[in-house]
Amino acid sequence: MLLAVVRRAFDMVFVMFGISVIAFLIFFATPGSDPSARIAGRNATPEMLAQVRASFGFDRPLYVQYGRLMQRLFIARDLTSFVNRGQKVVPAVLQATPVTLSLVFGAAVIWLTAGIGLGIVATIFRGTVIDKGLMLLALCGVSMPVFWFGSVMNLITQSRFHDTWLFSWVPGLGYTSFFESPSLWFKTLVVPWFTLSVLFIGLYARVLRASLSENYQEDYVRTARAKGLSESRIMLRHALRTSLITLLSMFGLDFGALVGGGAILTEVVFNLPGIGRLTYQALQNLDLPFIMATVMYSTFFVVLANALVDVAHAWLDPRVRDAR
Amino acid sequence: MLHHNIFRATAMALLLTSATVGIARAEDKPKIGGTLRLAAASAAGTIDPHISYETGFYWPIFYVLNDGLVTFRKAAGQPSNDIVPDLASEMPKISSDGKTYTFKLRKGVKFSNGQEVTLRDVVATFERLFKVGNPNSNLWYNVIKGGDKCVESPATCSLAEGVVANEADGTVTFNLTQPDAEFLYKLAVPFGSILPADTQASDLGTTPSAATGPYMITSYDPQRGMELKRNPEFKVWNEDAQPDGYVDEIKYSFGVQPADAVTAIQNDQLDWMWDSPPADRLKEISTKSAGQIHINPSFATYAAEMNTNIAPFNNKDVRQALNFAVNRRAAINIFGGPRLAEANCQILPVDFPGHKGYCPYSKNPGEKWAGPDMEKARALMERSGQTGQKVTVTVGDAGFDSRIGTYLVSVLNDLGLHATLKVISSNIQWTYAQNSKNNVQITVNTLWQDYPAPSTFLPVLFSCGAFHPGSDASPNISGYCNKSIDAKMEQAMKAALTDPAASIEKWSAIDHEITDDAPWVSLYSPNLLYFVSKRLKNFTYSHQARMIFSKVWLD
Amino acid sequence: MTIVSNTSAAPAGKDKRNKPKGPWRTALSRLLRDKLAVASFLFLASIILSTASATYYADHISQTDPFQSNLDGHIEISGEPAEIMAADSEGLGLGVTPIGPTWTGQYLLGADAQGRDVAARLLYGGQNSLIVAFSSTALCLLLAGVVGTVSGFLGGIVDTILSRLLDIIWAFPIYLLAISLSIVLISKGLQIGPFHIPSNSLLLPITIIGVVYVPYVARPIRGQVLTLAKSDFVLASVCLGMPTARILVRDILPNVVTTLIVFAPIMMSLSILTESSLSFLSIGVQPPAASWGTIIQDGQGLLYTRPLVAIAPGLAIIITVLCLNFLGDGVKEAFDPKAKLRVGKD
Repeated sequence: MLLAVVRRAFDMVFVMFGISVIAFLIFFATPGSDPSARIAGRNATPEMLAQVRASFGFDRPLYVQYGRLMQRLFIARDLTSFVNRGQKVVPAVLQATPVTLSLVFGAAVIWLTAGIGLGIVATIFRGTVIDKGLMLLALCGVSMPVFWFGSVMNLITQSRFHDTWLFSWVPGLGYTSFFESPSLWFKTLVVPWFTLSVLFIGLYARVLRASLSENYQEDYVRTARAKGLSESRIMLRHALRTSLITLLSMFGLDFGALVGGGAILTEVVFNLPGIGRLTYQALQNLDLPFIMATVMYSTFFVVLANALVDVAHAWLDPRVRDAR
Repeated sequence: MLHHNIFRATAMALLLTSATVGIARAEDKPKIGGTLRLAAASAAGTIDPHISYETGFYWPIFYVLNDGLVTFRKAAGQPSNDIVPDLASEMPKISSDGKTYTFKLRKGVKFSNGQEVTLRDVVATFERLFKVGNPNSNLWYNVIKGGDKCVESPATCSLAEGVVANEADGTVTFNLTQPDAEFLYKLAVPFGSILPADTQASDLGTTPSAATGPYMITSYDPQRGMELKRNPEFKVWNEDAQPDGYVDEIKYSFGVQPADAVTAIQNDQLDWMWDSPPADRLKEISTKSAGQIHINPSFATYAAEMNTNIAPFNNKDVRQALNFAVNRRAAINIFGGPRLAEANCQILPVDFPGHKGYCPYSKNPGEKWAGPDMEKARALMERSGQTGQKVTVTVGDAGFDSRIGTYLVSVLNDLGLHATLKVISSNIQWTYAQNSKNNVQITVNTLWQDYPAPSTFLPVLFSCGAFHPGSDASPNISGYCNKSIDAKMEQAMKAALTDPAASIEKWSAIDHEITDDAPWVSLYSPNLLYFVSKRLKNFTYSHQARMIFSKVWLD
Repeated sequence: MTIVSNTSAAPAGKDKRNKPKGPWRTALSRLLRDKLAVASFLFLASIILSTASATYYADHISQTDPFQSNLDGHIEISGEPAEIMAADSEGLGLGVTPIGPTWTGQYLLGADAQGRDVAARLLYGGQNSLIVAFSSTALCLLLAGVVGTVSGFLGGIVDTILSRLLDIIWAFPIYLLAISLSIVLISKGLQIGPFHIPSNSLLLPITIIGVVYVPYVARPIRGQVLTLAKSDFVLASVCLGMPTARILVRDILPNVVTTLIVFAPIMMSLSILTESSLSFLSIGVQPPAASWGTIIQDGQGLLYTRPLVAIAPGLAIIITVLCLNFLGDGVKEAFDPKAKLRVGKD
């Protein structure tokens, strides 16, 4: 058991190391990424460039630069931006975290409730028009580009119908902290929550619907039915329980990826200053310290979610548990 | 005093100024207090006034924070190009050979940290410019004695001979290696801000410096915003140089997209936005909120720079063909319509000192552009023998650049070249385009003035010395090098010392000569559109400090 | 986007082997009985055909060059001249608005910010979107098939190295990886040995999208091959002394190919969405070439005055992806009903 944990931890560190190296190399492969020119200013002479390069250590071998960067990011925690000089990376990432958490938590509540609800309703009415209609809707949700849907939502709520009673409450884009004004926090996030969750609602409803109807053919459900249990009881106590394990592992991975900045397009479209947008800005600015910090941050959540899901899966699902 | 008033107001400028005045009339009593709320899509890095070269974005802020020995007059329109004494109590005494400037330091001015501004601070300020690697230390300030040595070894910079303090009579004397007609401009821009002698000798980054002006920065986070509060030590000493502010606080939010800023201003949640309103909101605001719009001419040229060293633009016929073919009206339509820009064929911006209307690349060549001439363009292309050549138009992804780029691709293809567009992050575009190793054939940029003199355009952008092959810092993007023009520019610089009017004439001629050689396709001079809240009053537009933050009040 | 797949490792051909028809023909006839899948396929075919007719449309119906900016021109609508880019005259007279939908041949859906015919561009853009989606899917399936099979079949050190590599790409958030690769390659182009892919080539988004999704397909394939290699019938073949190559071709590859077929429509729908996202961030298909994503991007700047420019390509994407997903469901049911595929975005 201990060995398994150590192995797992080693795997995580290895993957994160690999990704940090890739991110580092990608940065140095980008032409125009040399920050010396931007730091030195508009009319800097080549001599001044050389001076800046030396003072930032850009003239050192790549592995030395990599080592110094990682040391300052993880050990000294005083890494600062190349573009906005003096701006510390770690606090900026920490500041962006609550924004992303707010977005993802709210969306998760919506998509779990709606996704599971739709899945159950569709299963109950399986084979009917209701089932087909719901599944078509779900598939539509999966087929939409999220940035496009977000833009259309903006068009509706911010422009075309903003003056009507329906959407006059929608505040301008941006983010307000919960502690500053809970009501404004809620209002600004409703539309992004909905936009982000639509895809997952479709996804989860489809998966649940498929899994439930599969379970209905399993022996234990037949047994329950033979015992004369009511349909709703079979659904809730037996079929749904097994299916939720599948959903749980999906949810773990999705949630991990989103918390790590996976909602990048939603954050960009709705102008939410979360991890995703921070990452996007860092990439646009070619600001290596920020790229490194955000990439490490998101990888950490992806890897952690993977590990947790595996553990939870092994713990919850008797078949997997016994197989080990 | 070497500075001459050379701004010539044209009908257009008069029209625009009078529009602003018309609004000013309706505003009656000044009001003190309140918070001025500003917004921008993103921050722009360091707020060290000795380093930041954000002439449009951060310099207007620096103008209400810090003071140089002299500064530009804080006034609307034409007088805003004049130099007035600021931390110096009067204009300097200049020796007859133009090589020494003696300033008398004003007494009793205090920094926001409570220290008095002393001669020691003045000397330290100019040494600091070299120590922190001011972007122009090697171009502007090395004219000070000892400056060249400081460029070589900044860490040990000493200007003991160049900037001499005389404690006894409270004066400071600048000794120059050669006369410099634009020296006062160089002291008036924010690079010349006097900072305390104990300011750290490296980039302040996100830490605010001590202020002398009516406001001081109390917090700065490039991801979120900037806050300015009143400087408790500030007392007005020269209304022209540094007037007191009306509002108590200025709050700058970053990360607000232009479209959202427009909405916020309409809803009275913001007072002013740095970015231009998006093109598709212009119609809406110009009909619904016309009274909240201020349009002012700017000293800038929007141009496509062609690389004169590689094919096909090493061929003058191709460059001229493109100049004839480009429809300036189309470009202006992309930018937001004829009210927001004025077509321009030459280097110097419309109404800038030395600008004399000249457009050889027009249906009817004359002072102004009248329409494209495709026939001439095609004939020139034919003559060049470059038809079918591949061209990549490289542009940044911000603002209108990529749209203008798309248009240029279309024109180039129409001319028989084989053009494609390459959009790169606007954060690297400026340096990427400069480095000749990247072989950028054609790119677009807005080129802004530093101060109102032709030398901030012509020698900086077209002299042989401004072209550094293989370097990211080579502002002569066209790689244009013409020895005879270099010599003429040298003469024009010299003439400025003795006969400013003749110098301006010379610059005009150089401007036209370069235009004939067509290293650029100049498209237009943009006007600056400011969209402000209903409660923002007394909007005052200076050519140097843009909207003067200390002049506005909130109703 | 993620696909979590635990494609049933049971060999697809096993239970069908006894039937008189070959497993693939069975699957095909099953697919043909699926009305929704057939309808989706026909619909997709008509989308492909109409995008293929883009040149005809531009030449004969819209009569404009959809790649030529037209910022200062006029057209005639029922005898009345109309400016393509109209400077506004109300208020302060700021802003220039492109012509709206005319619902006639010329400028059917109006003009974009460059004064180009949106309908014609939609067809041309569709070509590129479909080409990118199809090619990147093919590339991804090919790479994933090879990597997964080699890794699962050979095992040992090869497996360890390949799996680690897949793990790393897997843990890299897909959009981050795609965006960072695009930013680098768009500014530089790609040099593979003697071949140079210029930065505006469609091959760049194809390669990027193809490569980033490899782990999502390769991992399940590796698992499948691993199970197959240990299965009774393969062990039996080994005992009978069959050569490795023959085992690979006869017993393993058909199963791998079945899985790849099941993946194909879904990967293609994912590729379309990814391409549009990259193009939306200006790092996918490069102008003057168009794709549905770039047209949405163009339309973003006209959302307030001419929302149709952004809405129309979005609808085109949704319809295409919807068809692909229906088709994917059908293919899955027909070929491998037990496969659990999941398509999503993170």
